[in-house]
Amino acid sequence: MKPAFFLILLAAGLAQEALAQDLEDFPALPRARYRNGQQVLNAFAPISAQTRNSIVELNVNEDTVALGAVVDASGLVLTKASEIKSGKLTCWLASGKEVEAQLLAFDDDDDVALVRVKAKGLKPIQWATNQVVEGQWAITPGLADTPQAVGIISALPHRIRPQQAYIGVVFRDDRIGKPTVRLLMPGFGAEEAGVKPGDVVLAVDGTTVTNFEQVKEILKEFRDGQTVQMRFQREEQEFDARIKMMSPKPGQEGYYGNADERENGLSGDVSLRSEGFEQAIEHDTVLEPWQCGGPLVNLDGKAVGLNIARASRVATYALPASLAREILAKLKSKAENPPSR
Amino acid sequence: MVLTAGRVPAAAFPTIVKHNAVILMSVLQLPRDRTARWLLAVALSASACMADAPSPAQSLARPAAPRPARVNRRDLPDVFSKPAPSSLADLRAIQERVAAVVSQVSPAVVAVELTNDEGIASGSGVVISSDGLVLTAGHVGEKAGQRVAFTFPGGRTATGRTVGVDEDADTGLMRITDAGPWPFVNVGDLKNARLGDWVLALGHPGGFDAKRSLVVRLGRIIRLMPGVVQTDCTIFPGDSGGPLFDIYGRVIGIHTAIASSTVENFHVSITEFFDTWKELIGPPERPPAYSGLSVVDDAVGCRLSKIERNSPASKADLREGDQVLKVDGRSINVSATFERWMAECGPGETLQLEIKRGDEVFFVPIKLRSQPGSAK
Repeated sequence: MKPAFFLILLAAGLAQEALAQDLEDFPALPRARYRNGQQVLNAFAPISAQTRNSIVELNVNEDTVALGAVVDASGLVLTKASEIKSGKLTCWLASGKEVEAQLLAFDDDDDVALVRVKAKGLKPIQWATNQVVEGQWAITPGLADTPQAVGIISALPHRIRPQQAYIGVVFRDDRIGKPTVRLLMPGFGAEEAGVKPGDVVLAVDGTTVTNFEQVKEILKEFRDGQTVQMRFQREEQEFDARIKMMSPKPGQEGYYGNADERENGLSGDVSLRSEGFEQAIEHDTVLEPWQCGGPLVNLDGKAVGLNIARASRVATYALPASLAREILAKLKSKAENPPSR
Repeated sequence: MVLTAGRVPAAAFPTIVKHNAVILMSVLQLPRDRTARWLLAVALSASACMADAPSPAQSLARPAAPRPARVNRRDLPDVFSKPAPSSLADLRAIQERVAAVVSQVSPAVVAVELTNDEGIASGSGVVISSDGLVLTAGHVGEKAGQRVAFTFPGGRTATGRTVGVDEDADTGLMRITDAGPWPFVNVGDLKNARLGDWVLALGHPGGFDAKRSLVVRLGRIIRLMPGVVQTDCTIFPGDSGGPLFDIYGRVIGIHTAIASSTVENFHVSITEFFDTWKELIGPPERPPAYSGLSVVDDAVGCRLSKIERNSPASKADLREGDQVLKVDGRSINVSATFERWMAECGPGETLQLEIKRGDEVFFVPIKLRSQPGSAK
């Protein structure tokens, strides 16, 4: 059984063409006057003028992959980590110059990276201090004279759950009894960590558990690639295992498509990493994945957040300013005191 | 340019939808796991609590169609009469108005869940009266008499039923049967709607999410078609049945369909709800018909045992003791058949009775009226 969501989808292909023709029988608003049309964006020009020197466009091997928010006049920039992790990093400035950039540190939990840009005359973004309200303008400025796109705040900051990841264990199907391993899914973390059928889970991530539901609740909070500490009992012995969480890959059991596939191409392109954030403002701005990573600003030109993912047809996420600043402080100290090897 | 969205049967958009649309019941393919089954269990236990609710016939008066609230464009800031905002001041005026409308209308927007053989289906709706009438899309309501669980934005829940749907127009009506009063919004009309009007889409894309709750989107009217409005307010499965508001905070549409482009979002126009209101509230309950006849069974068949004075029967050529052979050509062998047949007739109908008196067989027309003492 699965939940179903209602909406009529106009079918693709021939029917879509028929629809387009039928639609053309009726007068339409000129594109320039759409919410994201040029006439509307022109009204936001003062915001772009105020912010364009606080924004960079990041390139990996000459392809633009993200925007970044200048947070320090010395050239420190915050951006979306997963887009820039490998390859030769450069960036475009509002002045039209392309300069070198260097990845200093990143935070996997919320997908934020700290980058140093070799440039002068950059202006740090101003952070907004008041809370956002639903319905207020959500503006994504870029290097141009008018914003990349605009929308409104759709929902107040809330936690975005990570994509479901698994340890790869099928438990015995008794709801009251101790959580006992029945089967191991091939290729998943539990098998690799040496867990065997019959093992009983005693604790997950330091919390003692007595039934399957508790195990499930704790594991829900872990993302693909993260490691979870679990304590098991096998006959008279107790032992600890570090198990890598994994989201099913194509062809594996439990795989249900990436975000694009799940949405039947109704959302345009979505960010590869679009789930699993501590807190995110949800706004309805239609962005390309590469337009994430920069500031989301209000009508005062102040950053209410950092755009962190294009998630679906209706949602783009931004880390709230307060969280972005916390992460910035963490990343700064990480960059200054790199872990010794 | 001013366009009104009246009904133009020749090019009716619902036909376009019908020919081009597929209804995808589960667009988000969630893994078939325990969570989904658990959700189903929750919905079923909720349904059990509804078992004692009075049946629609008992509890629901036939509600009158809502009337559009009157508004005047001159009451709005200038920007709402411009082709596009041209200054930060204009943008601020839009922002203020939008935020005010959002806080005004949000409490009345609900998530709806219906449980059927397939599992749970989620959509959205909007309350339009304090006693709990809910507008939704026809494909969400499915059919009359279904149990529905409603969730308000703060998480408050209520139960109720589907009242009726019109599949062609994709309009639907539900009723919260728990005692109100419920927060509600005004409905509007599209008489003075123009391309470019700023509008707001509210609803629950992806189903109700307690951490997130209601999702608000802004856009403009892109096309006004017979029965359907197109906007660039992005909507998504789960939004179906949710409201499209004008900048006065009136419901002017209900989310129905999307195509792949993010500017192809379609909403059933509110006008369709007025036009299909009779379908939505179901057939009228007819008052019982009165003939003034009583019948009994005897060895031969069904016989008239009593004819009341000043009744339709007393005005016809009927006598106590006459045998009823047929009514409108249908054979009557026992009195119960006669009584059931009468119960299906309404006041004003004329019946042909085939009567046997002695050896004589003849036809007697009898015109039924409403019960003495009820409506005259």
